Amino acid sequence: MKNAPLLKIEDLRTYFYSRSKQAFIRSVDGVNLEIRRGETLGVVGESGSGKSITALSVLGLISGGPGVIAGKILFGSNGEQKDLLDGLEGYVKIGREQNRIMQVSKDVLGWERRSDEVMRTIRGGEIAMIFQNPKASLNPFTPVGKQITEAIRLHTKITDAQEAAERAIYWLKRVKIDSPALRFDNYPFGLSGGMCQRAMIAMALACEPALLIADEPTTGLDATIQSKIVDLLAELKSELGTTTMLISHDISVISRLSDSVVVMYGGTVVEYGPVRDILTASISSKHPYTSALLASIPGEEHVRDKVALQAIEGDVLDTINIPAGCRFYARCNRVTPKIRENCERREPDLREIAPGHRARCWLYFD
Amino acid sequence: MRLSGLRPIALVLTREVMITVLLLLGVSFVVFVILYLAPGDPFSMLVEGQVQSEEARAGAREALGFSQSWYSQYFSWVTQMLQGDFGTSIRTGLPVASELVFVGFNTLILTIGSMLVTLLIAVPIALYSSVRGTTALSWPLTMFAYVVSALPVFWLGYIVIYIFMHRFGLFPLMTSSSRGFSWLYALLPIVVLGVGNGTISEVIRSLRDEMGRVMSEDYIRTARAKGASVWKHSFKEGFLIPVTEIIAAKIPFILGGAVIVEQVFNWPGMGRMAWQAAQDRDFPVIMGIAMLAAVFVRMGSMFQRVVYVMVNPRASKE
Repeated sequence: MKNAPLLKIEDLRTYFYSRSKQAFIRSVDGVNLEIRRGETLGVVGESGSGKSITALSVLGLISGGPGVIAGKILFGSNGEQKDLLDGLEGYVKIGREQNRIMQVSKDVLGWERRSDEVMRTIRGGEIAMIFQNPKASLNPFTPVGKQITEAIRLHTKITDAQEAAERAIYWLKRVKIDSPALRFDNYPFGLSGGMCQRAMIAMALACEPALLIADEPTTGLDATIQSKIVDLLAELKSELGTTTMLISHDISVISRLSDSVVVMYGGTVVEYGPVRDILTASISSKHPYTSALLASIPGEEHVRDKVALQAIEGDVLDTINIPAGCRFYARCNRVTPKIRENCERREPDLREIAPGHRARCWLYFD
Repeated sequence: MRLSGLRPIALVLTREVMITVLLLLGVSFVVFVILYLAPGDPFSMLVEGQVQSEEARAGAREALGFSQSWYSQYFSWVTQMLQGDFGTSIRTGLPVASELVFVGFNTLILTIGSMLVTLLIAVPIALYSSVRGTTALSWPLTMFAYVVSALPVFWLGYIVIYIFMHRFGLFPLMTSSSRGFSWLYALLPIVVLGVGNGTISEVIRSLRDEMGRVMSEDYIRTARAKGASVWKHSFKEGFLIPVTEIIAAKIPFILGGAVIVEQVFNWPGMGRMAWQAAQDRDFPVIMGIAMLAAVFVRMGSMFQRVVYVMVNPRASKE
């Protein structure tokens, strides 16, 4: 049990039914990943690749519209493994007519009640989450300190208001907010974006969660503030060693903070492995999408020699009409005549190409 | 609430009171000019046939100051009003001020009561449909609300009187001579005005949309992510603020409906008094009621401002 991963996602599918198109938008389409205790897993990919939806699915925060979630999200804590999607299947009914989905009905309230029941001790307690756009993520009508003490009193043994306030101030200090006792009474509108994100981090960590999900924690902040938030996260990582799932489209953030990396494309994992193998551009055995992603980052030579950046051709995958073959085929520049047929017809598995390094590409199938 | 929190409220109240004073002056001027320009005066309407000679009428007009220029009449009215003297009713000879207190109280009961009835119907439907979305139940509920909103209040009033008073005798009939207040008399007009003031569907729609908008805010997602109560976090922006705004915005509609309901139920309030006074061209009474109605409307908006400032930390910085 000790070696079991803290979080193991098996074949996660999160679909949203589009009534007008009578089809599912397959935002997350068969994601498998694991987060070991103490590690930071980086999740990269373009907008719309399903990163955030995967994270929101873990916390059961998929709301609005008839969203359908299937697969397993196994979360191991306190010595037992729990499937966070347990018992949710019964609340969705799919009406089909000759392979075509005609109707999806979801008992939203029943679904939410069941999800709330399963997630009761987990949301905010065992899994905490920080979001992008921190100013909008804090309640504008409540002082920052009160929002932190609320979390503390909900999920820790501390119930006394005075004690919780002291604890909140301790955490505000810990995330390097100056004069924390004064900031405690401030409303979010009186704080800068960077300070709001620090307060969000304090609120998330104050309950000492087993898993921290950081969904684009630096997006929407000024560049200088971004690097300060990354510094803070790095420092907290070395001090606390909290297991973290870090979602970002910023490769530099991911490479600085992560131990392992998952690359997502079109709702699925295309590559998974240690951060060194995946995000070092000079190691060429990797998924063509990852290579293209790395080539699109401005490096020193682009600035020095005014070399044009290499954008990835084509558009992000349309997750309603997913092709039969490889999802990246239409945009791929490494298709060889030998594998072309496979690329077009069949989706490859996620196969190990080096120890601990897996990729979903026909190039590595012999 | 800490003492420092009271300062913005005091500021807002001061500002609102100043606006109210200016507004009252404006309203009184407009109403006065309209009355002055309208054909007829109390003596052509009321005293017809009672005062025989043209000389006697002229004497009465003279005694009441009607021969002065319109602006000197207006200024003497304003100076008296500022001292709390609204003059005497030409029809009854009673002082308008004490009359206003009496009818104002009755209409206040009717207005607050009907507002509560409206909210009691609209709020649960709005919350239900914002939380659960479109369901098998939300559709008929909304339909019901639209139909009810379309019922004309006078028609509803007569139907209710027929059924509950004449047919079953469940409620006593109100007579114009009854001066005392009784909740039993009040119940029927309050419910009729609350249901029939025509605002229910609008209240449902605005509250449902507002609550739905707040529910999709990022900070509500944060509340869910930390396992806190979504209702608690959405209460201020999604419920308290829109409800007070609705109350402030709908008071004029309810006062308008009160004129009809007070006629139908013989309810001794300012609506019925206004109706009577308009027919009699009873200038002092009309002016007094115009002032009182304006005060009621301003009270609603003051209430809304105070709640907003108390709830929204940013408002006190504005």
